[in-house]
Amino acid sequence: MTTTSILNAATSADRGPPAWTRWLDLGDRALAVVLLAPAAILLALIIVYPVLRLGYTSFFSLSLTSGLPAEFVGLENYSLMLEDPVFWETTWNTVLITLITVPGALLVGLALALLANLPFGVQWPVRLSLLIPWALPLSFAGLIFAWFFHSEYGVVNDVLIRLGFESIIWFNSPNWAFAAICLTIVWKTSSFMALIILAGLQTIPRSLYEAADVDGAGRVRQFFEITLPLLKPSIVVALIFRTITALQTFDIPYMMTGGGPGTSTSTLAMYIHQNTVSFLDLGYGSALAVVMFALSMCVTAVYLRAIRTKE
Amino acid sequence: MNIRTIASALAATSVLTFSVPAFADTDLKIFVSSQHQPDVWRKVLDKYEAANPGVKVAIETGGNTSEAQAQYLNTVMSAKDTNLDVLMLDVIRPAQYAAAGWTSAFENKDMSVYLPAYAGANTVDGKVVALPAFADAMFLYYRKDLLDKYGIAPPKTWEELAAAAKKVAESEKNPDLQGLSFQGKAIEGAVCTFLLPYWSQGKNLVENGKLTFDHEAAVTALKLWKGFVDTGVAKKNIAEVATDDTRKEFQAGSAVFAVNWSYAWTHFQGAESAVTGKVGVTRLPALSGGEQASCLGGWEWGVSAYSTHQDEAKKLVEYLSSEDVSVFMAANGSLLPTYAAAYGNNEVLKAVPWFADALQVVETAKPRPVTPRYNEVSEVIRTTVNAVLAGVTTPEDGASQIEARLKRILR
Repeated sequence: MTTTSILNAATSADRGPPAWTRWLDLGDRALAVVLLAPAAILLALIIVYPVLRLGYTSFFSLSLTSGLPAEFVGLENYSLMLEDPVFWETTWNTVLITLITVPGALLVGLALALLANLPFGVQWPVRLSLLIPWALPLSFAGLIFAWFFHSEYGVVNDVLIRLGFESIIWFNSPNWAFAAICLTIVWKTSSFMALIILAGLQTIPRSLYEAADVDGAGRVRQFFEITLPLLKPSIVVALIFRTITALQTFDIPYMMTGGGPGTSTSTLAMYIHQNTVSFLDLGYGSALAVVMFALSMCVTAVYLRAIRTKE
Repeated sequence: MNIRTIASALAATSVLTFSVPAFADTDLKIFVSSQHQPDVWRKVLDKYEAANPGVKVAIETGGNTSEAQAQYLNTVMSAKDTNLDVLMLDVIRPAQYAAAGWTSAFENKDMSVYLPAYAGANTVDGKVVALPAFADAMFLYYRKDLLDKYGIAPPKTWEELAAAAKKVAESEKNPDLQGLSFQGKAIEGAVCTFLLPYWSQGKNLVENGKLTFDHEAAVTALKLWKGFVDTGVAKKNIAEVATDDTRKEFQAGSAVFAVNWSYAWTHFQGAESAVTGKVGVTRLPALSGGEQASCLGGWEWGVSAYSTHQDEAKKLVEYLSSEDVSVFMAANGSLLPTYAAAYGNNEVLKAVPWFADALQVVETAKPRPVTPRYNEVSEVIRTTVNAVLAGVTTPEDGASQIEARLKRILR
C-alpha cells in the first residue's frame, strides 16, 4: 500500500495530478477567479448595481409626487444642477466642512491618541472616554449640541455670560452656525481618528525610543523623527475614512440647524435627502448623488495614489 | 380515513375559511398627527367601534410638525405600504397626494355641507380626494390684561401692534417680556409668516396654477417682519422659533402678542398656563391701508390607495368627517369645525366661547398655493424667510430669490 502510493505519487508527479483533482487545478489565475467569484457577485449586487441604477435614474425625469411616468431626459438633470444656486452653495459648504473638520479631527485625534498612549494611570479613563463620542449616534450628537448652542437655554452661552462675554445667537449667523457645526463634528469624529492612530502607536517598538534616548534625542525630536513617520500608514487610513464621511456630512447639521439660517449650512447630502425624500424628485436627487459619488471616488483615488507613491 | 372523510373534512374547512371574513374583525389603522390630540380622537373611535362591532381601529401617531409627518407618510406611500388605511393630512397635501395617486377618491360625495374652503381644498379636478377633519386658521393672541391695563384696543394693523407692544414693554419694564412671537424657523409656519402681510396687500402668489408673484409686495412683507426684529418688537433669535415655541412663550407669559393656530387656545387655558383667563384672541392685523388676512389651515382625512379595506376605511372617514364628530371635537378638543352651523352649536359655545367669532376668520382665510409641487414651493419660502430674519439676506434679495426659484418650480 505504502509502496504503491509512493510509486503512484512519483508517477503522478510525472504525468501531472490525478484525474480527480484536475478540475480544481485551474492554474493560479483561474483559481483566483473562482474563489473571488462569490464575493465579486455579492459586491456587484449590493454596490455596483445600485450605483449603475443611480446613474441610470439620473437621466430620467422621475418625480413620485407628479403621478407621471418616468421620462428619459438625457443630461437635463445635470444641466439644471449647473444653474442651481443651492447645489453650488451646498457643495461649497460640504467642501468647506471637509477642509475644516478633517485636519481638525486629525490634530485633536492625534493629541488624544498620544494621551491615551502615555504609560501612566490615565490610560484607561482616557481610552474609555474616547469610545463615548465614537459610539454615540451622529444624529444624537447633533441633537445634544443643538441644545448646547441654543441661544437661550444652551450651556455654551451660559459659560460665555459667566466669563463676561456677550451671548451669541449661534444659529442666526451663517458663520457662527458653521463654527458650531464644525466644532461638533470635530468632537464627534476625533475619537475615531484617535482609536486608529492609537492602534498605530502601539505597533511602534519601544526599543526605538530607548535607542533615541541613548543617542540623546529629546521628546520633540523623537516625536518628529520616530512617532510621526511610523504613524503615517495609520494616519492615511484614518484620513481616508474621515474625508469620505466628511463629504457625506448629513446628520449633525441636519439636527443642529436644519441647514439654516436660510440654506447657509446645508450640505450636499442634505440637499440630496431633500430632493429625494421631501420632494420625491428621484431624477434630480439621483443626479446629485452621482456627483457626490464622483467626488468621493476622486478623493479616494488621490489618497490611494499618495500611498502608492510613498511606497 | 377514507377518501370520503377527507373530502368532507376539506369541504368543511373551505366553508369555514370562506365564511371567516363575515365574522372576523376588520382591523383599520389610521394615522393621526401627534399634536392633534390623538387621545380625543380615540374617544371618537371608541364610539365608532361600539356602533360597528367587528371593526377595530388602531391609531398610529408620529411627527410633531407638518413636515415631519409628511416625510414619514411620503416614505410609507412611495413604498406602496398597505399598513395604513386612513391618513390625516395637512390641508396643503390632498392635492399632492391625489396627483401622486396615493389616495382613493370618494364617489358622489356632497361637499356643499362643508365650509367652502374645505370643499375646495379636498376637490381636485372635480374629484373628492379627501374629507375635512377640522378647520384651522391663524389668529392673533394677545394679553387682554396688559392691553386693558394701558387702555389699548386690540390692534387692527401691524403698525398699531408694534406701537402697542412698545408701549407695554416700556411701561412694564420687564426684560423677559417680548412684544410679538411668530414663526421664524424654516418650518411650514414660516410660509404663513411670509404670506400674511403679502396677502394683506391684496396680492396672490399663485392664480390658476400660474405664478403671480409681486416683487414689491414681497419686499414689504419681508421688511415688516425684519423691522419687528430690528426694533425689538420681536426677539433677536426669532429665526429659531417654531410654532410650538411661540405657544410655549406666550403660555409662559413672556409675550404680549402671538401669531398662532387655534390649538394654542386650549393650552393657554390649561393648568400649566401662566396666562389663564388673561388671553384675548382676534383677527390678524393688516398692513395699514390693506386688508386683514389669515392663513387657512386645517387637516383632512384621506383613504390610502394601498389600503386593503377601501370600503371600511371610507365608511370610517365619512363618520370622522361628520357634523356630529366635528361638534364633539370642537367641544372636547377645541378643534375648529368644518361645518358653518357647528359654530353656533350650544355645546361648542359653552366649551369654547370664542369660536363664535372664529367662523368669520376661517371663512375669509386664504389657502396656500395649491400645487402638486407644494413641498418645493414651501421650502423656498420658509428658508428665505428664515434667512431674512436671521439677517443673512436682505428683504430685497430675499424677494428676488423667492421669485427666481418659484419661477423654476412653477414653470
